[in-house]
Amino acid sequence: MSIRALWVLTHEKGESVKVQFSRRYPSVEFRAKTFAGAHHVSVPEDCQIAHLLLSELGLADPDKPYIAARDDCSHQQRSPALELRVGSSGERTLWPVLTIVQGGLILACVPLTEVPPDPRPSLPSLASVSQGLALLSSLQGFLCGTGGKTPEPDVLVSRLATLPSVLMQICPLGTPLDTLPQSGMLSAALAPGPGGAQKQPAWKTGVHRGRAVVSVALTEMVKSMQYGNQSKQDLWDVHGTVTCKCEVEGVLPNVTVTLTLPPNGSPLQDILVHPCVTSLDSSILTASSVEGNDGSAFSGPYKFPFSPPLEPFRLCSYTSQVPVPPILGSYHLKSQDNHLKLSVVLKLHESVRNSFEFCEAHLPFFNRNLMGNVDIKVTSGQLEVSKEKNLLVWFLGQKFPKSREVSLEGAIHFSGHLAGPSDPMCTDLTAYVKLYFRVPDLTLSGCCVDQHSVQVYSSAKPRIITTRELVSSEYYIWNSTGDAPVCSGPVIL
Amino acid sequence: MTSWDQRISSFFSSPSQFLSCTTSETFLAELLDRLRDDKTNDNKKILLLSVLSEHPTVLCPTTSAGEETAQELVSILNFTSLKSVSLKCHLILAITNILICTFGLSTRTKVAEEYLNYLYMLIQDTNDNTGGPSLHSVRAIACECLREMETCHPGLLSQKLEALCHLKQQETTVLHQSYSMLYTQALKNAIRILSQQQDVDNGKLRNVLAGNEGFAWKSANTAKSVLSVNMAQVPQLPMTLDFKELKSIMTLLLEESYLMTSPSQAALLRGLVEMVAMVPGISPAIFKSQLLRLFGTTEVELMHATLFMKGMFTDSLFTAEDEHFLLKRLVGMAQHPLLRIPEKIFYMDCILHFPENRPISSSGEECLPVLVTPQLTLSLFPTVFNDSTTMLCRFNLLCLVHLEANEEEDGQGLGYLIDHVMALLKTVDNQGGRETLVTAFRAIFIFLLHFNHMENLAEKLIHRLGELYSRNCHLAPNLINLTDRIQERFDETLWSVRFLKALQRCIVEMPPSQLTLQSLGWHLKILARVAQESQIAQRSTICFLLDILVNSNLCERRSWNVGTAILTVCRNLLQHPTLNQMFIQLADLLQHMSRQYEDTDIQDHAQFYYTLLTNLSWEKLGGILAKTPVGGQTKVRSLSSLSSITASEELSSCLTILQAESCVLRLVKINNNAFEDAAPTAEAQTETDIYEVYREQFKTPGFASEVTLRYHLTHVTTTDPRFDRIFTICLHFEVDTSHYERVNDIYVPCLFRDRKPRDVSVTLKPIHPYPTTLRASAIFTKEDGQSWHTHLPDVHVSFPEIFLPVPLPLGVPLQQKEDVFDRIWDAASSGEPSASETSLFCFKTGIDTLSDLIKKNFQGYIISQELNKWKVLFFLPPRFHVLLAIREGEDAVQMSIATDNWELLPHVNSYLQNITAHCSSTS
Repeated sequence: MSIRALWVLTHEKGESVKVQFSRRYPSVEFRAKTFAGAHHVSVPEDCQIAHLLLSELGLADPDKPYIAARDDCSHQQRSPALELRVGSSGERTLWPVLTIVQGGLILACVPLTEVPPDPRPSLPSLASVSQGLALLSSLQGFLCGTGGKTPEPDVLVSRLATLPSVLMQICPLGTPLDTLPQSGMLSAALAPGPGGAQKQPAWKTGVHRGRAVVSVALTEMVKSMQYGNQSKQDLWDVHGTVTCKCEVEGVLPNVTVTLTLPPNGSPLQDILVHPCVTSLDSSILTASSVEGNDGSAFSGPYKFPFSPPLEPFRLCSYTSQVPVPPILGSYHLKSQDNHLKLSVVLKLHESVRNSFEFCEAHLPFFNRNLMGNVDIKVTSGQLEVSKEKNLLVWFLGQKFPKSREVSLEGAIHFSGHLAGPSDPMCTDLTAYVKLYFRVPDLTLSGCCVDQHSVQVYSSAKPRIITTRELVSSEYYIWNSTGDAPVCSGPVIL
Repeated sequence: MTSWDQRISSFFSSPSQFLSCTTSETFLAELLDRLRDDKTNDNKKILLLSVLSEHPTVLCPTTSAGEETAQELVSILNFTSLKSVSLKCHLILAITNILICTFGLSTRTKVAEEYLNYLYMLIQDTNDNTGGPSLHSVRAIACECLREMETCHPGLLSQKLEALCHLKQQETTVLHQSYSMLYTQALKNAIRILSQQQDVDNGKLRNVLAGNEGFAWKSANTAKSVLSVNMAQVPQLPMTLDFKELKSIMTLLLEESYLMTSPSQAALLRGLVEMVAMVPGISPAIFKSQLLRLFGTTEVELMHATLFMKGMFTDSLFTAEDEHFLLKRLVGMAQHPLLRIPEKIFYMDCILHFPENRPISSSGEECLPVLVTPQLTLSLFPTVFNDSTTMLCRFNLLCLVHLEANEEEDGQGLGYLIDHVMALLKTVDNQGGRETLVTAFRAIFIFLLHFNHMENLAEKLIHRLGELYSRNCHLAPNLINLTDRIQERFDETLWSVRFLKALQRCIVEMPPSQLTLQSLGWHLKILARVAQESQIAQRSTICFLLDILVNSNLCERRSWNVGTAILTVCRNLLQHPTLNQMFIQLADLLQHMSRQYEDTDIQDHAQFYYTLLTNLSWEKLGGILAKTPVGGQTKVRSLSSLSSITASEELSSCLTILQAESCVLRLVKINNNAFEDAAPTAEAQTETDIYEVYREQFKTPGFASEVTLRYHLTHVTTTDPRFDRIFTICLHFEVDTSHYERVNDIYVPCLFRDRKPRDVSVTLKPIHPYPTTLRASAIFTKEDGQSWHTHLPDVHVSFPEIFLPVPLPLGVPLQQKEDVFDRIWDAASSGEPSASETSLFCFKTGIDTLSDLIKKNFQGYIISQELNKWKVLFFLPPRFHVLLAIREGEDAVQMSIATDNWELLPHVNSYLQNITAHCSSTS
């Protein structure tokens, strides 16, 4: 369960590629040779790896419209493992090569194959693959943080500079011993373990000293696709995460967090838990989004006993099916000569707290000339045309009006001669309104963590903070007069 | 000298290139020197060590080199101060890597033995009782190194299990994980070795568990056989043994696994699963208590270990209900919004290879698990919002699912899949960018792979793709690629033929207004591909081509590319089995091109094809035009490559002359050992006026008008192995054409670096015999047929190099030569011809030096020599003379100069100054 080599590369849209970091594990390579015998393909030198990876990821030579080696249709990128064609004529293949691409950053590693390489084994039969994936994921978190944004070049450089010493501890000989610390989550100075009879968990390098505080934050994200069309089913789904930060004394303190649903709340599905959870009740895992649930499914309370690590962590996550979307919208576009007539109506559901941190509706217009005269009236909020003249932003503020309904009506003239940006998903009447909002102290599923339900078994009584919020993600309202792309499979079979 | 940082980074970038400039021994010696040097700081030493740690076999290619290096590093380690903890860790790491990779461990070298003892000594200090916390990380690395050694040489620690178990129990800091892993690894290997032995009894098992002896040095072969044991056929210990102790050891390990990090937990679980599989007396049920925790995990490595457990124990641990639950869980995770994309894709792979309790096919071939049904995978339908990889994975999985299920259901799922393909093509139609395009074609390929037998769907796709092509003809390469790949996969399917037929129709029926020169290029590519299909009638193609040639200004636009593309179609048509039926039309087409197409090359080729068509049978045409096999080591230049003018990459590489970045060749002057004075014949010649004869000679055109300079043609000293053997070298010279006639190119058949240089004679025809510089360049061919162009260093032709002895007929007596000298002198002094001039050059020198000087420089040109007096005559082509009368005076040497071309005087002057540089001179 080891990896043979690890790389961090940067590129700018397929050009000026640079190997920023590389690490080889020769003793693992030694084992790979023993297993593969004559079939062994050694790891290529750093100067070759960049082009091989870019070509395989379809990023090489971005100016050339078609390159057989890069664009062949039978060449399937169907798994997280790439196949690099090494050697002078590409007759030897290095497989599997795991990669994570984030913006201009490419992370790659070659996991060890511990079974005969011919015929090619399946990916799940290789023990090292999941270790490689986990290592790359944590490396991504180490370099980029949890926000999913590619860091600025100088930040990246400074993080890369500390990578060798981190790997010396995490993965000195190619076998990952731990995951990399996530940037932005590095814990403060700690007292070393007491060194008593109690074994110190390997995932906890010290103990907390000081005031006991437990924070539990529940965040729900809501996704929606609304078509306003009989033939297409509107969709909305919710997923939530519970993040904890526990500053509690002791080597292995016990904490229990309980999630509860309101009566008749639909059960939490697809629950995933952090490895620090000590035990799970089987009923917690029964509800799944894969197959429909009958009404008898377990609906809480969901108890999670655990012993917390020092850094903030994701205790659990879930998905949920809620009966209605928080905001129901409709969008109508009509094209006339060189102007568009548009009308948007947004309705806030009565069950949703009418108190937003922010709420915005974005109306992009791609593949058109730039916006000229905008003649639009709104019943609430303010309008703004973006600098680029291809986006209309409607700021709805903190509250919907009493009627819980807002509308936008008017026409836009596209007069400019300059063509705006393009997006294949948004052409002509295939257009959408995208909503961005955040509502504090609300979950759609109704799920909540009661402050009194958080139990901490320790001598000092801790302060307990619980929060919850609802955030939009991918919240689309498609123009009902256009041909919107479908985003789900058939509903009934 | 480049800094170490730069050298090391260039080494890491390419060790092979780095070592082409130096040897591994030298570099290794330098590294070790710097490592021993006290002045080198720890960070620099760590950087230097990283070279040895990551590329041990590059720097130590043999076991003995590895042994020596390891020994060196051990002694450096011994002298490293206690405070340099990080350096110590890196040293330990480097030594471990060297010993493992250079077989120092497997051949039981002395240094390996001592080092192993040292590491083992380090890990005795549990809880840092004696060494204190500062040695904590050294101990951690020592543990890991021992584990790596045990992993690479299974059984090494198999006689120390009791001691290792004790250490593991003792340790309470975070390092207990390392001790646990070390113990588990050693225990697993020991059990595996035991299970391969005969007659294992309770005593043997007990001995292994209670072992507290030395290291078990085994032959490399046993180690190898243990290392690469295939888990599909697990060896087992006899059922009858008493496994109570072993079971309690395993239970304890499992209980404490909660204290480990997820990656180590996963590794431990796998180790325990393998052990339980080898020990029939221990039930897999010991894992039962961990299952729920594992089912709910977010961590991919733990889920993966659970699946491994599932595959190993199937229904002895997992009920049918468990199995169904696990699969459902996997499907849920394959689309869980909170997991990362690579993990989700991995889970999709896990669904495809789900280890079922009762699989239908026992062989390893890929087939969908029975439990994976359309109902189960409903949530995995791909959408246009997915990223490419996710989309293709989901699409592939769903295609497999619906291929299986198609007979039973009403085809709604399949309908959705085809709708999805159409949606993808729509985004392509909306200028969706390259990635969308490639992804769409990959999806189509997957679809056809599974459903090409379904006529109506395949037909629908043909129709849609044709429509797409008519609007986006730049998709031609993708479409051709798709047809090629489908044809390769299915010999019998006609999809590709039907599709190409549709494309042909689409093109030939295209209204002329839609044809542009650019789109025509794509259409011709498609038509060339269509012409390769024996089942497609080609008459419409020919009509189309003739039509555009006759009814447009294509012929006048003289585009070589378009002409070539048309000829490529023709070439394929010439090989078409229905050639006879379209003979006349094709002949018309070729004839039209050979007459009307305003590009000579195209005309010639059209004429050539026409001749082939009208003179050869179809069978012979096939033989001649058949493609040269590609990929053979030597690319035979057959007639087919002559007859093909397709602008293929291969051909263009033959046509292109590549430019060498630096000089490859140079010319080195061959030093003429001054030619001897022609041996004078004693007999007197017939009494003719030799001066008149001499003058008369110049009336013959070209008489004595050339200077021949001899050079060696050699490689430059910097080596570029690509150019070691080169052929058909054409040397080209550029001269100052106001003073010299053009120099002819020189051909040299070949030049090998390891053989003698070639002699090359450069013939100069001066108009004005002044010193000059030749700019030389060469075109040559490498062994692989590539042509290269290179410049040579400039060749300087100095003034004396143009001197020739006076071209008198052979055998003229000295006396008559002097006579000629005097006559020229007299003429020059009297201003005949008009450009004549005389001059004087004086310098001081001793008498010995003077005769030496004259001998050294004027040998071959001396006409007469008396005491203190010399007459020297230089002839300069085409008809000029420089005469020197040298007289040694009392305090200086006088050189009287006469010439029939005064413009030569400055050169004469600087030449004389040059050769008498060490003497003072006045002119």
